[in-house]
Amino acid sequence: MSISMSANKSRGKHKRRKVAIDGTMTIYEASAQKEDLLKAFNGVDELEIDLSGVTEMDSAGLQLLVLLKREALRESKQVRLVAHSAASLEVLDVYNLAAYFGDPLVIASRAKAERRRQP
Amino acid sequence: MKQAQAVIQNFAAESRALLSAMEDALLLLEKTPDAPDALNAVFRAAHTIKGTAGIFGFDDMVAFTHVMENILDDIRAGEVSVDSTLIALFLSCGDHCWALLDRIQAGETETDAALRFAGQTLIEQLAAYSVPVLEMSPNTAVRAMEDQPALEPELENIGGDAVSSDTWHISLRFGKDVLRNGMEPLSFIRYLGTIGDIKAMVTLFDAMPGADEMDAESCYLGVEIDFSSSADKETIENVFEFVHDDCTICILPPHSKILDYVRLIDSLPEGKNRLGELLVSGGALTQRELEDGLRLQQSFDEQNNTPTTDEGHAHKLGEILVEQGVVQTELIHAALDKQRVIKEHRAQENSFIRVRADKLDELITLVGELVIAEAGTRLLAQRSGNGDLIESTLSAETLVEQIRDSALKLRMLPIGETFSRFNRVVRDLGQELGKQVELVLSGMETELDKSMIEKISDPLMHLVRNALDHGIESPQVRQQNGKAATGKIYLNAYHDSGNIVIEVDDDGAGLNRQKILNRAIERGFIKADQELSDQEIYKLIMEPGFSTADAVTNVSGRGMGMDVVKRNIEDLRGSVTIDSAEGAGTTVVIRMPLTLAIIDGFMVGVGHATYVVPLDTVVECMELSAEDRAAIRNRSYLNLRDQVLPLLRLRDVFDTSGEAGRRENIVVVQCAGQQAGLVVDSLLGEFQTVIKPLGILFEMLVGISGSTILGSGEVALILDVPSLVQQASTREMQQVTYKQANNPAAI
Amino acid sequence: MAKNILVIDDSASLREVVAIALRGAGYAVIEAEDGADALSKLNGNKIHLAICDVNMPVMDGISFVKEAKKLPNYRFMPIIMLTTESRESRKQEGQMAGAKAWVVKPFRPEQILHAVAKLMPV
Repeated sequence: MSISMSANKSRGKHKRRKVAIDGTMTIYEASAQKEDLLKAFNGVDELEIDLSGVTEMDSAGLQLLVLLKREALRESKQVRLVAHSAASLEVLDVYNLAAYFGDPLVIASRAKAERRRQP
Repeated sequence: MKQAQAVIQNFAAESRALLSAMEDALLLLEKTPDAPDALNAVFRAAHTIKGTAGIFGFDDMVAFTHVMENILDDIRAGEVSVDSTLIALFLSCGDHCWALLDRIQAGETETDAALRFAGQTLIEQLAAYSVPVLEMSPNTAVRAMEDQPALEPELENIGGDAVSSDTWHISLRFGKDVLRNGMEPLSFIRYLGTIGDIKAMVTLFDAMPGADEMDAESCYLGVEIDFSSSADKETIENVFEFVHDDCTICILPPHSKILDYVRLIDSLPEGKNRLGELLVSGGALTQRELEDGLRLQQSFDEQNNTPTTDEGHAHKLGEILVEQGVVQTELIHAALDKQRVIKEHRAQENSFIRVRADKLDELITLVGELVIAEAGTRLLAQRSGNGDLIESTLSAETLVEQIRDSALKLRMLPIGETFSRFNRVVRDLGQELGKQVELVLSGMETELDKSMIEKISDPLMHLVRNALDHGIESPQVRQQNGKAATGKIYLNAYHDSGNIVIEVDDDGAGLNRQKILNRAIERGFIKADQELSDQEIYKLIMEPGFSTADAVTNVSGRGMGMDVVKRNIEDLRGSVTIDSAEGAGTTVVIRMPLTLAIIDGFMVGVGHATYVVPLDTVVECMELSAEDRAAIRNRSYLNLRDQVLPLLRLRDVFDTSGEAGRRENIVVVQCAGQQAGLVVDSLLGEFQTVIKPLGILFEMLVGISGSTILGSGEVALILDVPSLVQQASTREMQQVTYKQANNPAAI
Repeated sequence: MAKNILVIDDSASLREVVAIALRGAGYAVIEAEDGADALSKLNGNKIHLAICDVNMPVMDGISFVKEAKKLPNYRFMPIIMLTTESRESRKQEGQMAGAKAWVVKPFRPEQILHAVAKLMPV
């Protein structure tokens, strides 16, 4: 697992940061990732999390994303999840949380329906 | 299907146990109307049977027990008093349930017309007792509560109407340590998807603290799921079996009551409004249902000026209902008590394992084979003359014997249940005959093989009926004779050196010696000048075709006679003796082995064949002297110590080929006080042996009661000593009858 | 990629039955005959879930759970305990050690599959 951070981009006052998570987002990494992600979110107005490299995600991983989203809502900041990998998308799907995050999803809802039918 | 059948059989067995308990309790109530637990026991039977029958969809049973339960409710509330008519009515109701169970067990889903009519009649009789209820009176609500055909005495029906949604609602709050323990909520939810269809799901994380306190390894998730499935509640609960201890789980079946949802909302930490919205958005509740439920709760809160917190914890549902006057406190307590009783009952049940009878039978059969195999090994060891080997087989033998004994014990049941069934018989019959009788039971805990219990209960029943019908006098006669008006019948059982002894004792009129003698002479059983001991005279009443009752009453006249009783008991390798004192009573003593499966046998040889004589019938063995052999050639009795001993040549009886050996022996056997000598070639010694029943083909064979396999692998027939002894004494037909039985080894 | 399940039991035949069932359901199975053997097999393999007998020679199941929970890579591994134990105290000891899932012997193979399905991490 690694979290790579791109440089801060600021357009005027709005500070924006991009991070990409590679590898697993499970309970084994959760504590470290929590620190890293909070650090990355600190001092910016918008955090974009690239999930394309996430090979495995469990409930602990999901909770981290939820934590960030909630912090964002509280502080009127933004967290955007982008380029969901299949593993991460599936977790959001099972928990039915895609709407909560409100990010555009790449995979169409048809695939989702199929997965439901065949759990 | 098979599994379903097994479950139904279990249901029937449970229900029958409850019905028996109910009957006992009713009889107790009749004697002591204020017996505290008796009424509860009756209620519990009706209630539990109704609840379980409801799950199976046995609607006739539900409808019937429902009416019973209502009246019982009134009785408990003190509105209906118990009298003997009502008790009789309830006894009949128990019988009706019994009959319904028969139908259910036979796989009949429809109750037949006659049974339905009988049920209807009983229901009408019961209804005559019920207290008329005014619409909307508090009692209506109370009754409605008890109307629920559910096992748990919950306060369901008052919770307003059922909600319209036809999905399960599952509410889950995962415990903090769930993830740490290696449990993954996703896996449970995914698994849930394999047994049904997740219609809607909302994930909650209100429990998650702020970023600083949030522990990334703790679980803060909760879900509300609307779930469509044909699975039962237990199956759904089992999905979460591994997290049960750690999580808050609430599963509401489809069409639960609105108040159940309100209660759910109350019990969850997220707050009323948020959860209400969730339930509505998920489709579990309609907006109106939610409002109705909350209004019901709120109106109460306002009424009592209790500030309602947003968490909605203000009142427990039970409190609400009580203070609203919907339910009286006692009823809640009663409900709780009921729950406790059910729990205690469960705990008691847990110390038993329910095992299918055929599994036990299989074990016993195997143990039987083991006994045989072990005997074979011992035989070989002895032939080999190897001392160490013999010793080791001896220690194996001891173990095998212990295994055999414990295996047989598994099938042992206390005879008490059979005994207590007679309470009812004695009561009903006493009333019918206008006699006052008390049945005194003792030795209830005495154990006996299950198969024996089944077979002994009919003969016992007859003996008890007999005692009541012929033994016990009417109250007037008793008082005239200076006896207490109430007669007593004692049933007692105890173990005595590997046998069980059952005594049926009464303090009635006793047997009239002269009357029996006269009848016996009249029937030609004995000659007028014959000298008989008391024992021998009493035994006459068990002869086929003997009956001394001046009028054949409806009671013991029907069904079996004493001769059949005797025959049945002898079939169980038992014996009956009768003792009586005129004016003081009669005692019938039954003595039987504890089990039918294994006997100690005495082996004898005739030609190439081997026969087994049950050891308990053997009196003595002797070698025939040359003179005796010559003497018996032309007659069939022997002078043994100045007694006439009728003889039976097994060679002739079973038409064994070949000439008699150079030596012959006599085995003197005894049955029911009569002796006979069996003439055999050789005496082979004692042997423990396992009885195998004869096939249908050989069932009709007279003189043989079973077969066994010897250690050598040969088959040996077990002699039916009672019938042989009988043959020896009435021997005219002997030569003709037994030609069918050929060489037994061919079986 | 098939998930790896470590089956730990001193009875080879039991391991076999369980392994057949698991392989049939698409899992990969690694066998170990006691707790110590199991610990050594945790190294060098990526094990997703362990099925572990309680009473075993050398190292019993509960000690194994305690040891496994100390390993950084296996701290949160789901473990299904197989037991004939009805003793509550023993079960509690196991639960304290972190083994929450118990399947009572004798079990039918599909019971194991169900338990695995409920516990297998995503």
